[in-house]
Amino acid sequence: MSDFFAKIAELFSTPEYIDSLLHGFLLTIQVSYFAILIGILLGTIIALVDTAKPSRWLVVPKFICSTYVAIIRGTPMALQLFIMFFIIFAIRGFPSIITAIIAFGLNSAAYTAEVIRGGILSVDKGQTEAGMALGLSQTTIFMKIVAPQAIKNIIPALGNEIITVIKETAIVSMVGMYDLNMAAKDIGSGQNMASYIVPMFTAALFYLVTIYLITFIVKRIEKGLRRSDLRAEE
Amino acid sequence: MERNTELIIKDLKKTYGKNKVIRGIDFELHEGERVVVLGPSGSGKSTFLRCINRIEEPTGGMISFDGTIVTDRNIRKIRRDIGMVFQHFNLINNLTVMENLTLAPVKLRVMKRDAAEKRAKELLRHIGLSNKANSYPASLSGGQKQRIAIIRAMMMSPEVLLFDEPTSALDPESIGDVLSLIRELADRGMTIMIVTHEMSFAREIATRIVFIDKGKIIEEGTPTEFFEHPKTPRVREFLNKVL
Repeated sequence: MSDFFAKIAELFSTPEYIDSLLHGFLLTIQVSYFAILIGILLGTIIALVDTAKPSRWLVVPKFICSTYVAIIRGTPMALQLFIMFFIIFAIRGFPSIITAIIAFGLNSAAYTAEVIRGGILSVDKGQTEAGMALGLSQTTIFMKIVAPQAIKNIIPALGNEIITVIKETAIVSMVGMYDLNMAAKDIGSGQNMASYIVPMFTAALFYLVTIYLITFIVKRIEKGLRRSDLRAEE
Repeated sequence: MERNTELIIKDLKKTYGKNKVIRGIDFELHEGERVVVLGPSGSGKSTFLRCINRIEEPTGGMISFDGTIVTDRNIRKIRRDIGMVFQHFNLINNLTVMENLTLAPVKLRVMKRDAAEKRAKELLRHIGLSNKANSYPASLSGGQKQRIAIIRAMMMSPEVLLFDEPTSALDPESIGDVLSLIRELADRGMTIMIVTHEMSFAREIATRIVFIDKGKIIEEGTPTEFFEHPKTPRVREFLNKVL
């Protein structure tokens, strides 16, 4: 037990180790942040195409979107990462962080698209019909009626997706990137601390706290959105 | 008395895949008329009503409103003049009562915001729901929602009001409130089409009854003709069951 505390002391008193952990954590956050951003942007576009009223112009885009989602959801994330690294961006000197962001962003887009699509479809059809009957345009109906109601259904699931991406980025260590997960392994290895338990638990704590924070924020947003739903009188 | 023809419908058809819901309806609606559409459930009467303002896209036939043939291009403009009240009220859940009432008139520049809010307040006061202006639909009863849905349609000062089973989702007490509001609009000369199962109300309010079965109008006439001297066996059978 005293050994365990000694290791904790060692980890937190060695600037190199702290530096490695923070570096790894920063990479994890960077990849996650931009991947989620791409995921939400691209996912929203896919969801909009997918839920749009069928028309001649949308046959091809709709097909592309559904095929895209099927492929992404039907193959392992690790394999998608490998394909990005070793086939598509197998360019010498190409920054690996960009490759990783693209890989995770494209993956997240497919799942986010499904989340957003579900949110849009869950809005009662009568809401759209009311807007139509009043003569409102499709854009107004979407912006003023459908989107605000869809967001309420989307936020919780989107929170899940964000958490998934953050945890899943740990597999970048498979292509040699130095993220939080890799940092824990490196610090614990033979030429450094020669003990995995403390660095790995520390890394776990980093993930836990990050995800707890996100869960907390999402819950707050959810609550805020729901309040306007049930407010009786002013 | 020569009256303005609001609506001319010729050979209207609506199919869902192989399912023919409307099989050729010819119909005219004149200013000041109150037409009640009756028929068994699944007869296509709601679909008929919803085809008029293209909430459902007809698959055949022609509709002209106020002398203009309704197309995909002009339907949005025409919808301003055709109010609709739904069975399930369809108040916009994320908007307050006031916002529900003013959204369309302000967005479509029918009224300035001040004027729209003033009119909304008047109408709310008229139906005794002034205190609900800032409430959300979730906190209202069915009857309150439906009466607000009716004045929401009135905000646009439509030429015609369509009611799609306006009382079918209400408790008996609220039904009375909603019906008396409709009755009041009728008394003021509003041109109205109602799909309903309220037979006594139909009889009381209608200037003409239209009976639809299997996607076709099979009988129409004044309430007296229709209820006292039905011409077709199908209507006689229907009346025997419901009266």
